Amino acid sequence: MRFLKMYQVEQKLFLRTPDVIVFNLAMPLVTLILITIIAGNKAAADSGLTFLQSSYVALSTVGICCSAFMSIPISIVEYRSQRVLKRMYCSPCSPARLLACDTIASGVMAVISTIILTVAAVVFFGYRMSGNIFAYVGAWFLTMISMFSIGLMVASLCRTTKSMNVVTSLLYFPMLLFSGATIPAEVFPAGLRAVADIMPLGTGINLLKAVSMGCYNEVIVPVIILTAIAVICGAVAVKAFRWE
Amino acid sequence: MEEQYICVRNLTKYFEKRQVVDHLSFDVKKGEVFALLGHNGAGKSTTIDLILGLKTPDEGTARIMEMNAAKNRKAVFEKVGVQLQHTRYQNNITVEEACVEYASLYKDPADYHLLLEKFGLDSLKKNFVSKLSGGERQKLSVVLALIGDPEIVFLDELTTGLDVAARREVWKTLKQLKEQGLTIFLTTHYMEEAEALCDRICIIRSGKKVTEGTIREVIEASGQKNLEDAYLFFMGEEDLL
Repeated sequence: MRFLKMYQVEQKLFLRTPDVIVFNLAMPLVTLILITIIAGNKAAADSGLTFLQSSYVALSTVGICCSAFMSIPISIVEYRSQRVLKRMYCSPCSPARLLACDTIASGVMAVISTIILTVAAVVFFGYRMSGNIFAYVGAWFLTMISMFSIGLMVASLCRTTKSMNVVTSLLYFPMLLFSGATIPAEVFPAGLRAVADIMPLGTGINLLKAVSMGCYNEVIVPVIILTAIAVICGAVAVKAFRWE
Repeated sequence: MEEQYICVRNLTKYFEKRQVVDHLSFDVKKGEVFALLGHNGAGKSTTIDLILGLKTPDEGTARIMEMNAAKNRKAVFEKVGVQLQHTRYQNNITVEEACVEYASLYKDPADYHLLLEKFGLDSLKKNFVSKLSGGERQKLSVVLALIGDPEIVFLDELTTGLDVAARREVWKTLKQLKEQGLTIFLTTHYMEEAEALCDRICIIRSGKKVTEGTIREVIEASGQKNLEDAYLFFMGEEDLL
């Protein structure tokens, strides 16, 4: 109950932040509309998907990308430098609760982003998925947890707002542009394609594409990679965390 | 016997090689308003951090209500409210949301509506904290320090940077709290603030205690006319007198 009260406030703060609305909620939707109008029904190279099918999957990770590499590190590092965490430490409650509320609020933003995208794709563009939807949802959450652990690790390791801004920019923009999340990886030249495949978010997108096509034999390696990222970065995040 | 609410003994802290707090000892009794006075960088905030268990002392002990704050954090902070220097609030948070959030930290919080009313902030509930004036924001800090219904509050330079009217207004609220029997530990570098509010003061210089006592005792010990002159005397700034 007390957790819920704090969570509600933090969620409201997220919904009040203009960059979160633009980058997390509006951008994937606008990109989907553009790509679908330009090339929706064309085959996306040799992927076996149309551009609509490929882009829906890729864009469903943009919310994750924004939350993991922008919202989470920015809010946590700001709370630390503004001494909100120190102030919360001076209470019978742990500042970890604020961090948990924030991480959940970021996750909810990614979920809302994907729901908006899904409604638009299914209702307006007739998108259908051949793979199992529940498997897709599972893979999506694994991708989210894995990317969030990277964001939390950044928040723990960056001591100052300045260093955090540099690191998040270095993570966010390349992941957004070169992992295939916004610009479809199918149109990349071979070299860039290889880069996309080794990026953590690219791994998540490959997993989600395989699940959306029902190619379950291709999921094992990305699942192992994403789980390993989540465990390692999560452990580093907890170990390196400082509230001041 | 009077109850000692805060008990500091030989408290010492080094930052690198520099001694910031130097074998400091004092007691604060229940219901007392106690001020730690000193120049900027004299070690006032560090002393508060040490008492609250936010930093570990290199020597000595500090106990609040017979407890060590670092070891019994939860129990201590159910009874102790704080206002820390340089604390800011989340971007885009309103006065009421800040209250909800801070109230959610406690098992049995005070009614924040009543507190806001008492401090004249109830009409600002829906306002963003970032849009409040300096005085309103400091009053909100006091509300948030009181939201856990504490028996002791720590106020670290609560009135620094406020204009005269805002400062007087904050004093008024602190006097109300004093009348209700709250124990208050504050730091300030305004002597008239110490005179207006405090039962006892302790002046420190480079982390070391130079004098302690009631306002009258401190003035008498210095042989000066008023507290400000007494302060300068104890600070070794006689050429300014």
